[in-house]
Amino acid sequence: MKKVQFKSSYSQYLFLAPQLGILLIFLYWPIIQTFRDAFTMQDAFGFGTQFVWFDNFLFIFDDPAYFIAFKFTIIYSFVITLITGSIGLLLAVQANNVMHGKSTYKTLLIWPYAIAPAVVGVMANYFFSERFGLLYHLFNNLWGFNWYESVFDSYIYVIIAGSWKQISANFIFFLAGLQAIQKSVIEASMIDCKNSFRRFWTITFPLLMPTTFFLIIINITYAFFDTFGIIDTTTIGAPSGETRTLVYKAYMDGFRGLDLGSAGAQSIMMMLIVLVITIFQFRYIEGKIHYN
Amino acid sequence: MKKILSILTILFTFSFTSHSYSKTEIHWWYGNSGFLGDVIIEIANRFNASQDQYTVIPTGKGSYEDNMAATIAAFRAGDQPHYSQVYDAGAAIMVAQVKNGVVIGFEDMAEKYGIKVDADNYIPGIKNFYADSDGKMIGVPFNSSTCLMYANMDILKKVGIESVPKTYEEFEAMAPKIKAAGYIPLVQSHFPWIWTENFFSRHNLLMTDGNNGYDAVPTKTLFAETDAFVMHWKKVKEWYEKGFYGYKGRAWGDNQAPFIAGEAAFWFGSAASFGGMKGVVPNFTVNHIPYWDSVTGGKEYPTFIGGAANWILNGHTEEEYKGLAKFIEFMGSPEMDLYYHNMTGYSAVTKGGIELAETINFYRASPYHKAVGEQLSLEGSTIPGGYRAGNWPQIREVIYENVEPMLNGKISIEKGLKNMDKGAAKLLKQFAKTL
Repeated sequence: MKKVQFKSSYSQYLFLAPQLGILLIFLYWPIIQTFRDAFTMQDAFGFGTQFVWFDNFLFIFDDPAYFIAFKFTIIYSFVITLITGSIGLLLAVQANNVMHGKSTYKTLLIWPYAIAPAVVGVMANYFFSERFGLLYHLFNNLWGFNWYESVFDSYIYVIIAGSWKQISANFIFFLAGLQAIQKSVIEASMIDCKNSFRRFWTITFPLLMPTTFFLIIINITYAFFDTFGIIDTTTIGAPSGETRTLVYKAYMDGFRGLDLGSAGAQSIMMMLIVLVITIFQFRYIEGKIHYN
Repeated sequence: MKKILSILTILFTFSFTSHSYSKTEIHWWYGNSGFLGDVIIEIANRFNASQDQYTVIPTGKGSYEDNMAATIAAFRAGDQPHYSQVYDAGAAIMVAQVKNGVVIGFEDMAEKYGIKVDADNYIPGIKNFYADSDGKMIGVPFNSSTCLMYANMDILKKVGIESVPKTYEEFEAMAPKIKAAGYIPLVQSHFPWIWTENFFSRHNLLMTDGNNGYDAVPTKTLFAETDAFVMHWKKVKEWYEKGFYGYKGRAWGDNQAPFIAGEAAFWFGSAASFGGMKGVVPNFTVNHIPYWDSVTGGKEYPTFIGGAANWILNGHTEEEYKGLAKFIEFMGSPEMDLYYHNMTGYSAVTKGGIELAETINFYRASPYHKAVGEQLSLEGSTIPGGYRAGNWPQIREVIYENVEPMLNGKISIEKGLKNMDKGAAKLLKQFAKTL
């Protein structure tokens, strides 16, 4: 076989340049800046910059609000992953079994995916407004629901707001996963087992594991980073910062509080958290998954 | 083809007329929206129509916080506007930036470019709020409000109350009646501003050490160690439990809504809410915010200025600053000051504006415009007319975070106020490091 080689030793760099340029400008440069911010302290306009070692990290670890945000983010991502995953799966299985009007169901269920989180938040606002919110009044009659006083109730508010749109994402991927399962496998299982419930959990679901694993990562990332717009348009962190995600807190401290040092330190902490979660997932969960 | 040509011609003529004869452009960024934003645009339009050398281009950036963040980001990128509206909580940050050459002080500007409205033209209370520790004016007073009490007179009449409460004691006495008639006696829209910062000024009490930051960089807030403040919050909690006070979450509008809907008797909000409520709420009055008779011994003290000032940013050409100087002069004229006062409910900020209002008997026609100026210019205060504390936007967050658990009984009032002090001290310390 003939070895393909560039004549000039420079041309390959020329071809790589656009992609590398984008990476450098939009990825590495901000990361370097974040590290710079995290280890320095400066005033809002960027004057009086001084190197402070780990002061910014000590500052956030000494801040009870940071741990509240941490706790909420973990709970939030866990619950969102669970709810959106299970409802998405249920809907996908049902839609897959539908004989007539399959594409109509599909389209209708996919729609919410296209809505921006901030818009979802505004819509949720209408449901949970004390003045005219349908869900507010329903829950209020049931157990005295009041999201700006009760932590539990505010969780319900942001979880419903955050899940709704993400159910669509889960639905699409599960549906695609279901359709990718070979018909012969399903038919063979139908001969062996009459119980469709059991058939699903022993044959179909294990075959969906790669999709499930992928969705878990997607959902966690979503709850961590993309729910910013939802929080900002619903509870704004009420009551007392209990529904603030880590991203939202970093934004508040950095852009509202104008403390870039603390925001930078929080970003680095977030990076570490996501790193740990991802490593854990790939190390311990992926090993148990069979990719056909 | 002919059609396209004619459209192109029209477009061309427009592009020439709008940029015609290269007028000097002055950019003014602001953080008001809705009705208040429209008034700002109108001010710029009037200035642009009044002369043909300069064009002021107003750009709304969202809320106060948004505008401040946008201005800072623009400055860091070397693309800052000439003039930007920054709110009360950001005043300490802006004043501190004069030495870094970010902000040009108003008095320096006035001297260099011969602005006819000088510092003495502004009402003393307002002038001092945006001045540095030597009393030199840095920010240009603009929309100056303070917290006021709005009262629904129909509800009061229905329950047989004749006059609005002057003190919290009076309020406490009438609250059960209002509650019994099925109304919420009181709602308010901003804990840190109304029931913290202005609680201290209203009762002539210092809020931070270093004489509210005017004499020395503050290191702590005096929340938990001020007995009157502890007492006030215990009362608020009591009212909350008895249903005399209704808390509707963090958002300003959610707390105002029951008052607009005619469900609440009193609402504490801003003087600037007046413009928007006129004609919406049928029979309301605008009054001074109550005070504790037991704390002040019957004396009434002024509250702090709320709202925002405009700040001159460095880094532009002589010619542009000349234009800005003209614009500042225009906005400081009695006519424009009164126009803004009348439209929005914000206080008149110049002596000329107030004189003009008196001359034309403005307050007889619209008595409720008077409360804001009156409350701001009450005399006898021994504390500074403001506070110079950095990181204040975050300290407001700390206050909010602790009020909610205080109200629902998760933590005691003493504990909550101590938490606030602790959080604030940390943030003040951090700010001091960057000075």
